[in-house]
Amino acid sequence: MLKPIDIIKKKRAEAVSRIVGKGYLSSKRVYVGMATCEIAAGSKEVMEVFKHAVTRGGLTDVYLSQKGCAGRCNLEPTVEVIEAGKNPVRYGKVTPEKAQQIIERHLKKGEVIEEWTID
Amino acid sequence: MAKEFSITICDGTGCIQKESPNIRHALTRELAKQGLTENVRVTLSGCLGMCEKGPIVVINPGYTVYGSVTATDIPEIVEQHIVKGRPLARLAIQEDHLYNRFFRVFGDTKFFGKQMRIALRNCGIIDPENIDDYLSLRGYEALAKVLTEMTPKQVIEEIKLSGLRGRGGAGFPTGLKWQLTARAGSVQRPEGDEKYVICNADEGDPGAFMDRSAIEGDPHTVIEGMIIGGYAIGAKQGFVYIRAEYPLAVSRLEKAIADARERNLLGDNILGTDFCFDISIRLGAGAFVCGEETALIRSIEGGRGMPRPRPPYPSVEGLFGKPTLINNVETWANIPVVIVDGGKWFATIGTEKSKGTKVFALAGNVVNTGLIEVPMGTTLREIIYDIGGGIPDGKEFKAVQTGGPSGGCLPAEYLDTPIDYESLAKAGSIMGSGGMIVINQDACMVDIAKFFLEFTQNESCGKCTPCREGTKRMLEILTKITDGQGQPDDIDKLERLGGMIRKASLCGLGQSAPNPVLSTIKNFRQEYEEHVKDKKCRAGVCKKMLTYDITEKCVGCMACKKVCPVAAITGTAKNRHVIDQKKCIKCGACFDKCKFNAITKA
Repeated sequence: MLKPIDIIKKKRAEAVSRIVGKGYLSSKRVYVGMATCEIAAGSKEVMEVFKHAVTRGGLTDVYLSQKGCAGRCNLEPTVEVIEAGKNPVRYGKVTPEKAQQIIERHLKKGEVIEEWTID
Repeated sequence: MAKEFSITICDGTGCIQKESPNIRHALTRELAKQGLTENVRVTLSGCLGMCEKGPIVVINPGYTVYGSVTATDIPEIVEQHIVKGRPLARLAIQEDHLYNRFFRVFGDTKFFGKQMRIALRNCGIIDPENIDDYLSLRGYEALAKVLTEMTPKQVIEEIKLSGLRGRGGAGFPTGLKWQLTARAGSVQRPEGDEKYVICNADEGDPGAFMDRSAIEGDPHTVIEGMIIGGYAIGAKQGFVYIRAEYPLAVSRLEKAIADARERNLLGDNILGTDFCFDISIRLGAGAFVCGEETALIRSIEGGRGMPRPRPPYPSVEGLFGKPTLINNVETWANIPVVIVDGGKWFATIGTEKSKGTKVFALAGNVVNTGLIEVPMGTTLREIIYDIGGGIPDGKEFKAVQTGGPSGGCLPAEYLDTPIDYESLAKAGSIMGSGGMIVINQDACMVDIAKFFLEFTQNESCGKCTPCREGTKRMLEILTKITDGQGQPDDIDKLERLGGMIRKASLCGLGQSAPNPVLSTIKNFRQEYEEHVKDKKCRAGVCKKMLTYDITEKCVGCMACKKVCPVAAITGTAKNRHVIDQKKCIKCGACFDKCKFNAITKA
């Protein structure tokens, strides 16, 4: 019989393959903060913009996920763009309009919008 | 331009002793020599928890960790890693720990650099509603490890070894609490009798949101901690007591519990063993006193949330009269890390008597408000100025309030106090559950004390007299003082009454309720005296102490006279008006109305 530690390793491998199956290895990963504080600051609307872009707006090769609160209360809503081999880009005070710009300029054309990033 | 690389040099105490400043100089020099200054961001971090292998240098992207680095290694690291893009195998060390997961995403920013994340390690990193995300980052490995190779006794020994103390605020040694609860069953109760595990998520301090964020960001770590606790003490049932005002936290917790059940991590025969444990959620109605453990237990039992005298402590006689292990959210969130990374490692972080990290909700007059987690021993100054970014608008720092309505206000001379249970208590405040409010020069300390006392007075359950009557009387005196009606002996009265309430109250709420008042009297006595003797509030906050006057700038337009609700202003057209101070109710209507800046308030 398998030991608990072996069972959990198996479960982990399954979890990883499920995440990969959902597109985790896409060239860009986008995380939108969705804790109560972020939602209060308007992150739900921001998430909608990204969701729409992924499902209908022709944004491909992007893995979109929600996340909890990282702790930057005064800069919420926050969005992170993570790309293999590059430093993560963190955007603060993202609005639906800014989200649209992030999609057009950063996700589609690879331009980091410096003035909106968190230092 | 965007930096291609970020290099983090550990600036924790261990690495400083091992000459991390020299590394920094060598690095700056080498980058300048190679013309790479623009491409690389160099940052300092707080302790990264790898002191044994220090000095530590981390290069992102890729999260390559270099250990035992000396200044002479720097040219080689820059040449190989930065110029040629090939990490240097000679110095790279393999680190696979649970803590500090956030570092890969946030490590190079000033706000996060000085932090160390154990309890919040996954917050802001993973999708809290997807158990796969948690599993992929070695989630539930601590549980599996415990079930595979540790006896309940060994688990308790590991927790004791870590030196972890209760993060709800009181700082009771967690391992000892677990041991007492585990023993309670075997000695005083018949074999096989039930025990319970409780997670206290009844976060009630004004301005505190540590527990909410932890559960919303990573609910599984709390669940995993509780299952391990259940295994260690021999319980089959756990409860999370969380306030109904946290709907998102509740729904994420519900989903996490359901997902864990589905994956055989909760429920019967967990991971194929004969250990069974399940968790239910109980919603609190928002009474502050229910954060007190005996009141919380009473509330879960279906009674009115009121405390009872201790002993017997819950570890002996808790929920439904059974031995009960009750810990705070943050304490539970630390457990998986203690098990996987080891109690011995955990004990290397922090100070002599306070190990690990502490989460704070940083708020008030500070540039970067937010949720932070720092190693014990970090000073208030580092938190407020390095992480918090200082006081906004060029204002001056006046005080920092820790521990919410149970804590105290510390003035500037305490800024170098290291964060740990003993140092904060010695300075006259408390660690508390993690509220930290920065106060600038514009605040009136008497008014702040009144605010907190108003809160505790409202939340007093009324069971014991010292708290019920005492806080009421204290509030009356404070109100009198802020209304400009203070008597010379009022300050002494407050101190006497406060000391008595502290000593005689039944539970923690009453015992700590006078703290905001007593600590502000201790540290800002002059302000109290000004209120009482001179009837003056230097910050101009206490309204009733203001005097409105009409100066010679008055043109006699009569606008103020018309707007005064109590007809305190007299005067005829084109002549200077006068305010009758006895009639004036200090509403400020005239001040707002006057177009000629002829009305002063002082």
